Amino acid sequence: MGLANARIVGLGHHLPEKVVTNEDLTRLMDTTDEWIQQRTGIRERRYVEGETGAADLGAAAAREALDRAALNADQIDLILFATLSPDYDFPASACVLSRLLGVAGTPALDVRNQCSGFVYGLATADAFIRTGRARRVLLVGGEVHSTGIDLTTRGRDVAVIFGDGAAAAVLAAERDPQRGVLSTHLHAEGKYAEKLWLEAATSRARPRLTREMLEGSKPRIFPYMDGKYVFKHAVTRFSEVITEALAANGYSVKDLDLLIPHQANLRISQLVAMGFELGEDRVFNNIERYGNTTATSIPLALYEAEEEGRVKPGSLVCLAAFGAGFTWASALIRW
Amino acid sequence: MPKIVGMGYFLPSRRVDNRDLAEDLGLSAAEIQRRTGVRSRHYAEQGIGPSDLACRAAKIALAEAGLTSQDVEFLIFATMTPDVAFPGSGCYLQEKLGCGTVGALDLRAQCCGFLFALEVAEQFVRAGKYRRVLVAAAEVHSSGLDFSPSGAEVTPLFGDGGATVLLDGEGEGLLASAIHTDATRFEQFWCEFPTSRRPPARFLSADLPLGRHYPHLDAASVRHDGAVHIRAAIEEVLSNSGIQKQRVTRFFVQHVFRDAAFAALDALGVLDRATVGGEDEGHVAAASLPIALCRARERDQVNSGDIVCLATAGAGMNRAAALLRL
Repeated sequence: MGLANARIVGLGHHLPEKVVTNEDLTRLMDTTDEWIQQRTGIRERRYVEGETGAADLGAAAAREALDRAALNADQIDLILFATLSPDYDFPASACVLSRLLGVAGTPALDVRNQCSGFVYGLATADAFIRTGRARRVLLVGGEVHSTGIDLTTRGRDVAVIFGDGAAAAVLAAERDPQRGVLSTHLHAEGKYAEKLWLEAATSRARPRLTREMLEGSKPRIFPYMDGKYVFKHAVTRFSEVITEALAANGYSVKDLDLLIPHQANLRISQLVAMGFELGEDRVFNNIERYGNTTATSIPLALYEAEEEGRVKPGSLVCLAAFGAGFTWASALIRW
Repeated sequence: MPKIVGMGYFLPSRRVDNRDLAEDLGLSAAEIQRRTGVRSRHYAEQGIGPSDLACRAAKIALAEAGLTSQDVEFLIFATMTPDVAFPGSGCYLQEKLGCGTVGALDLRAQCCGFLFALEVAEQFVRAGKYRRVLVAAAEVHSSGLDFSPSGAEVTPLFGDGGATVLLDGEGEGLLASAIHTDATRFEQFWCEFPTSRRPPARFLSADLPLGRHYPHLDAASVRHDGAVHIRAAIEEVLSNSGIQKQRVTRFFVQHVFRDAAFAALDALGVLDRATVGGEDEGHVAAASLPIALCRARERDQVNSGDIVCLATAGAGMNRAAALLRL
């Protein structure tokens, strides 16, 4: 029996209604619209309201993806949820999602690979489909960052970047070896774990959560980023992993119809595109509207790219990610 | 079908018996023993995370396989008590072990984490993506428990430890597996905080006295469902493989309540050749089953060529089983 590729047969998304502009942030912290746009390209992002978790956003995105795939949730064999802002300490947000979708029995697990989470999840889904262990996989990226960032001047370097949202993909077996996920490439380098990280809660501290961690002058309950360091590594690793995906399939940059980079920072995407001499028509960016939505950003961009007709049957699409870990990853897809 | 070519486990040196816990928890040592079936467990020291425990275990697994960290093509790490909120413990392990820039996937499947990770690893290997995959499972529970009388029900159940197995695509070892989630009543066994669902912040100082950042267990239903789910998982994996239970040399069953594991084994009629982990380790969630398997090998209870069954049920609520030829 020949192995089947995994192919994305339905995409969905869900964004909270509340739009938070850079101007809105200037009322919470000492920053300016100009500063944020110049460094990140971000104009606005979405924040949840009330008690809304990653799984709530993910469930709405998943329903749309299932509708578009003309499938019911109970026809899914495996549920993967990529997030770094889970609903609870445990269980996994995938469990919460599966209950919201009304399924029981389907294995559900979280992929915790930060900004690379969607591509790590895609590689996992692809492996299950290739071996025939699963026929259909639901892969969701969902994040609620807004409850975990320091929305004061102290936290502005990180806080202005992140936004909330979810997007989902349904993957199914594709017999045509020329279509679907052609290859995936996963990397990590834990040496730089603490260049972009969120320490607390941390099982290596006894106890994991203390008043000092929460209230000290540098609260350890908020993410930290060495921006310049991350920026430099991101440009290098994005470029490497895109080249790796193309080379593995005997393609070059000229064959590529669309690059969808993880939306970390518009300036990173622009530098990567410039390095490959890719014009704006062959790189998809939407960070200006949503900020960095970590595990959500790639499927959200893919969703919009398909809506806009920039991804069509036959398109050669490269997904690429870089983020905390460091982790980085790519996937080459024939749509 | 890949095969496990090396395995190892590591328990922190600090051993904590029931007398050590009795006063803080307001229970006698005998009462803790009666309620949990746990005699002692191990606790990691300050500064030690699951990646440290997994690293010690991984070195043993690699040595058994006659391989080095350079031979590992991919890492999968299962834990419910990660070193830090992010990045994942897999990234830390990758660095501590020295595996270059190979991928490190971090999974969350709670108590069933090892068997979920093994199933994921198997697919990567069978799909031809990687030949050698290191599967790590490790937990440091002790830093997240309530050492006051309000923790008396839950705290003595848990312990710290880590284990890893190295999977090689050359060989036939994984015979069958089954993994399931039924989250209908996940609040039976959960830890709510920190929670990204809670505005304006996931965790505040005012939350500390509330104790919602400690695991919660609805003992009666978790115990009852655990026995049912473990039995179902074992029956499923036997049925899928076509292997009769008589051919299984040993059953390794793990549950946070050891009596639920015994009940499942009794119902299946295989108590005479079963290992229920935790008596000297407590519940080490994802790491429990591979620790029990490693310890049984040390005692020559299982040998190369034997067919063993691993099964567990836990938070999620998840259940999982696997049949392996050692």
